[in-house]
Amino acid sequence: MTAPVEQLRSAPFTLNIFLKRFGLLLVYALLGLGLSLLSDRFLTGSNQINILRQATISGIVAIGMTLVILTAGIDLSVGSILALSAVITADLLKQGLPVFLAVLIALGIGALMGMVNGLMIARGKIPPFIATLGMLTVGRGLTLMYTQGKPFTGLPDTFRFLGTGSIGAIPMPIVIAAALFILVTVILTRTRFGEYIYLIGDNPVAARLAGINTNRMIVFVYMISGICSALAGLILIARLDSAQPVIGVGYEFSAIAAVVVGGTSFSGGEGTLFGTLLGTLLIETLSNGLNLLNVSQLWEQVIKGVVIALALLFYKAINRSSK
Amino acid sequence: MNNKFLLRFLGLVRANSGLVILFLVALPLSLLSADFLSGNNLLTVALQTSMIAIAAIGMTFALITGGVDLSVGSVAALTGVLAAGLATRNGLGTYPAIFISLFAAALIGALNGAMIAWGRIPPFVATLASMAAVRGLTLVYTQGKPISGLDEQFTFWATDAAGIPVPLFVLLFVAIITYIILHRSVFGSYIFAIGGGEETARLAGISPAKIKFGVYIISALAAGLTGLLLTARLWSAQPNSGTGLELDAIASSVLGGASLMGGAGSVTGAIIGTFIIGILANGLNLLEVPSYNQQVIKGLVFIVAVILDYVLKRRLKNNGS
Repeated sequence: MTAPVEQLRSAPFTLNIFLKRFGLLLVYALLGLGLSLLSDRFLTGSNQINILRQATISGIVAIGMTLVILTAGIDLSVGSILALSAVITADLLKQGLPVFLAVLIALGIGALMGMVNGLMIARGKIPPFIATLGMLTVGRGLTLMYTQGKPFTGLPDTFRFLGTGSIGAIPMPIVIAAALFILVTVILTRTRFGEYIYLIGDNPVAARLAGINTNRMIVFVYMISGICSALAGLILIARLDSAQPVIGVGYEFSAIAAVVVGGTSFSGGEGTLFGTLLGTLLIETLSNGLNLLNVSQLWEQVIKGVVIALALLFYKAINRSSK
Repeated sequence: MNNKFLLRFLGLVRANSGLVILFLVALPLSLLSADFLSGNNLLTVALQTSMIAIAAIGMTFALITGGVDLSVGSVAALTGVLAAGLATRNGLGTYPAIFISLFAAALIGALNGAMIAWGRIPPFVATLASMAAVRGLTLVYTQGKPISGLDEQFTFWATDAAGIPVPLFVLLFVAIITYIILHRSVFGSYIFAIGGGEETARLAGISPAKIKFGVYIISALAAGLTGLLLTARLWSAQPNSGTGLELDAIASSVLGGASLMGGAGSVTGAIIGTFIIGILANGLNLLEVPSYNQQVIKGLVFIVAVILDYVLKRRLKNNGS
C-alpha cells in the first residue's frame, strides 16, 4: 500500500476517533448552548447547582451500574436495593439509632443484596438479567412487607444533613457523589482491580486463564453496585425527609440509560465512568431544559426516549465506520 | 443403574420443567385451599392469565432470537388508549379503531426491529428507549387521564361466551397461529437458527436482520392484543396500564423454558409459564397472604425455579446425556 492511500484512509478515521472521544461532550455543549440561548435562567449558578443536585441520585446508582455493565452484566435490582436499605435505615433512625451506625447498616444491606446477586451470577451461573430480575421482585416485596405500605417520615436533622446540608456553597449530595466518582475512577483506571473488570468484560475466558478469580471479581462488582444503590437511597430519603415503600421504582432503567448514553458498551469491556457522568448530566440537563422551556411533563418521556435511541445509533455509526 | 434411572428422570423433568413447576405450585394450593380447584376460580385465573400469556408468547419470539422486548408494556398501553380514543372520541367503529391501533403497535414493533436489525443497537437498550418514548406518547395522547365510555362491542372481548372467558379463545387463536409460525414454518426455523448462532445462520444464507425485524413486529402485535384485552376488561383505557408487563412476560417465558441466551423457547412454554405465575398469584390471594408478602414469594419461586432449571441443565450436560 502506498503512503497517500494510507493517509486518505486515516483521514475519516481520525474524525471518528474525535467524535468517539468528544462527541458526547460536543452534544452536551450544544445542548447547553441552545438552552442558554432559549432561556436566560438556564446558565444561572443556582440552576446549574440544581441540575447537579438532581443528577446525584441517578448518578451514584449509575456509577455502580457502569462497573456491572463493564463486566457484560446488568443489575435490574438497584431500585429495590435502594428502597429496602432506605426504609430499614429510616426505621432504625426513628428508633434512635446513631446516624453513623444506621448509615453503615444501610450500606451493609446494599452490599449483602449485591453479594447475593453476585453469587447467583458467578456461582449459580444464572444470567445477570434473570438473577437481578428475581432480586428486583424480592427486594421490592421485602420493602413493602417491612413498611406494610406506609412511609417513614420525620428523620433526625443530623441525618438529613446528608441530603440538605452543604459544605461551603456546595450541597452535600454533590460532595458525596463527586467523592465517589473520583474514588471509583481511580479504582477503575489506576488499580489492578479496575483492569480486571475491563478484562472480564472483554474476554472472560482469557481473564480466567490469566489467573484472575473472575467469580470473586463479579461478586465484588455487584456488591459495589448494591452499595452505590444504598448510598443513593440514603441521600434521597435525607433530602425528602421520608422513605416511601415505592421509592426508587424504575431507577434501574434510568441508570442503564445514563450508562449507555455515556458510551459504555452493552457487551462489556468498553466504556468509562466519565462517559457515565456526561450521560447522567445530559439526561438531567435535558429534563431541566424542558422544564425551563415549559414543555409539558408528558412530552418529557417521549423526548428522552428518542434522545437515547439517537445517541445509540450515533455510537453504532461511529463504531462501524471506524472498523 | 440407580444413577442411570436418576439421570433419565432428571432429563424428563428438565424437558418438561414448565409442567413440573406448574404441578409443584398447583398441588399445595389445591390442598391448602378448597376454592382453588373450583370451576369458577379456575375460570377467573384463565381470564386474567390468558391476556398476559399473549404478550408472553410475543416475548418468547424475541427471547429465542437472543433479544428481548422491554417495550411490550408501553405498547400494550398505547394500543389500548389509541383504540379507546379512536372508538369514543373520534367516533370510529370498534373494529376500525382496533385495526388502526394494532397497526400502530406493528409500526412501533417495526421501529424496534429496524433499530435492532439494521441499527445494530442491542435489543435491551433499543426497546428500553422505545419503552420510555411510547409510554410518553401514551401520556401525551391521554393527557394522563383514562379514556372510558367503551361500547359493548369492545367490552365483549373480556366477557364470557358459553361460560368461557373470551380472552381464552383469543389466546387459543393466537397460540395456534404463533405455533404454526414458530414451530412449523421456515420463518420459525430461521428464528431458532439465529438464536442458536447468528454467524452460522448468516453462513447458511439466512438474513438475520429481516428475521429480527419480523420478530419484533410479532412481539409488538402480541403486546397490542394484550393491551386491547386489558382495556376491554377494565371498560376503560388507562394511560399507565401494562406497567411492568415486560417483566411478567419475560419471567413467564423463562419459566416456560425460554433462554435469555437465545435458541430455546416455545409457544406452549410461554403459556405454561404465564399460568405458573397466574396460579401462584391466585392461590396466594385465596390463602389470604397479604399482598406485600406475595411479591416476595413470587420472586423466590421465580429464582428457585430458574436455579433448578439451570442446575439440571448443567448436571445433564456434565453427564453427557
